[in-house]
Amino acid sequence: MTLYFGDILPYLPVMLEALWVSIYVTLISFAAGGVLGIFIYLAKASRFRSLKLISNGYIEVIRNTPLLVQLYLIYFGLGSIGINFNPLWSVLIGMTLNNSAYTAEIFRAGISAVPKGLREAGTALGMPFHQTFRYVILKPGIRNVLPALTNQFIVLFLFSSIGSVIALGELTSTLQNLNSQTLRTLEIFSVGALLYFLTSAAIAVASRITERLAFRW
Amino acid sequence: MIITVEGLHKSFGKLEVLKGIDCEVSVGEVLCVIGPSGSGKSTFLRCLNFLESFTEGQVTIGGHNLTGPKTNLNAVRRDVGMVFQGFNVFPHMKVIDNIMLAPMKVGKVSRTEARTRGMALLEKVGLTNKADVYPSTLSGGQMQRVAIARALAMEPTVMLFDEPTSALDPETVGDVLDVMKTLAEEGMTMVVVTHEMGFAREVADRVLFMDAGVIVEEGTPAQIFESPQHVRTQTFLSKLL
Repeated sequence: MTLYFGDILPYLPVMLEALWVSIYVTLISFAAGGVLGIFIYLAKASRFRSLKLISNGYIEVIRNTPLLVQLYLIYFGLGSIGINFNPLWSVLIGMTLNNSAYTAEIFRAGISAVPKGLREAGTALGMPFHQTFRYVILKPGIRNVLPALTNQFIVLFLFSSIGSVIALGELTSTLQNLNSQTLRTLEIFSVGALLYFLTSAAIAVASRITERLAFRW
Repeated sequence: MIITVEGLHKSFGKLEVLKGIDCEVSVGEVLCVIGPSGSGKSTFLRCLNFLESFTEGQVTIGGHNLTGPKTNLNAVRRDVGMVFQGFNVFPHMKVIDNIMLAPMKVGKVSRTEARTRGMALLEKVGLTNKADVYPSTLSGGQMQRVAIARALAMEPTVMLFDEPTSALDPETVGDVLDVMKTLAEEGMTMVVVTHEMGFAREVADRVLFMDAGVIVEEGTPAQIFESPQHVRTQTFLSKLL
């Protein structure tokens, strides 16, 4: 068989445009989910039993159901009872909620990995807990979570491909459309895979550089 | 008396680690606490600034009753410096920033003032040239001296030392002990949990031997080391030689 990458070259701008949709959907849900994740982590780490219970339940439900099913629930499930979101909003909500549960766990792991002795040293100096947290625990904690957060970002970016099941118009659904137009299946999807790969690799490299610049200690 | 401890009991679950400790420390006194591992000596020390809560008893330090209804523990801790076995130097801050943090955030001292004070303390512990490096480049002994300077920056009236040289390479132990000795000579009130019998013998005003959660014996270094009265003290000391 012969491959005709030349045939799909004209479609590259369309693909890049769709890639951008994938990226910004990821960026928004990563940021929103990150903020939500901080609150879920704080609830989980709090003294209040009810808050702990709710946040734990939330995390477990989200982490033990497929994102695809979550997306169906939001788009079709809620739609069937009259709560309608368009594909973009559905994907944003689904990915944000999904990401928040994973990020909350990442925060928990990272903060609890900060040596207990550092907190004690802060306490022994007479700093109230909020100061100890802010000046002593936070930075080492962020350093602990950065690799896991980067990983989560990449996973989320790749997960954004499920937007294709409700025709979001991100990269994967665009690849499907181009495939049915051109029938250059192998070429279309290998170029698509390459675009996903290059973006993920760029994110990983950027994270490494950030780590090196931000954490010089 | 700057520290008064009465009937101190502490349990971790069902395990009772302190079984009624009574002890007093006067201003300027250096008290060394010795004893086998698991005897409760570190727990005792950590109760003195309420880093560890206790089950029963009273601790008064610098005029504050730790379990009093109106006691502000953070205010108490500002007056009580603590040095840990594991240094607990803040890894993400340069040496000088480690020392300046608490005076600036808790003591409301200006940055310039905190830096001046910090540099003076670094000179005291012999680390002026390390002010602007991160702790990861320091040896254990240097880190511990930074930790001492950091505690001193709050101008405490009492210093607590929790096995300050136990995690150190033998060749750096001396530098840390020298700093502590100087402090003692300057009249700092110190409670030192230690395995360094040489230091206890030379620097302590009083030595306290703990075993199984109680104070078995106390006295001057001469009494404890030359003529220990209790069998458990004798056994412990003989194992060290």
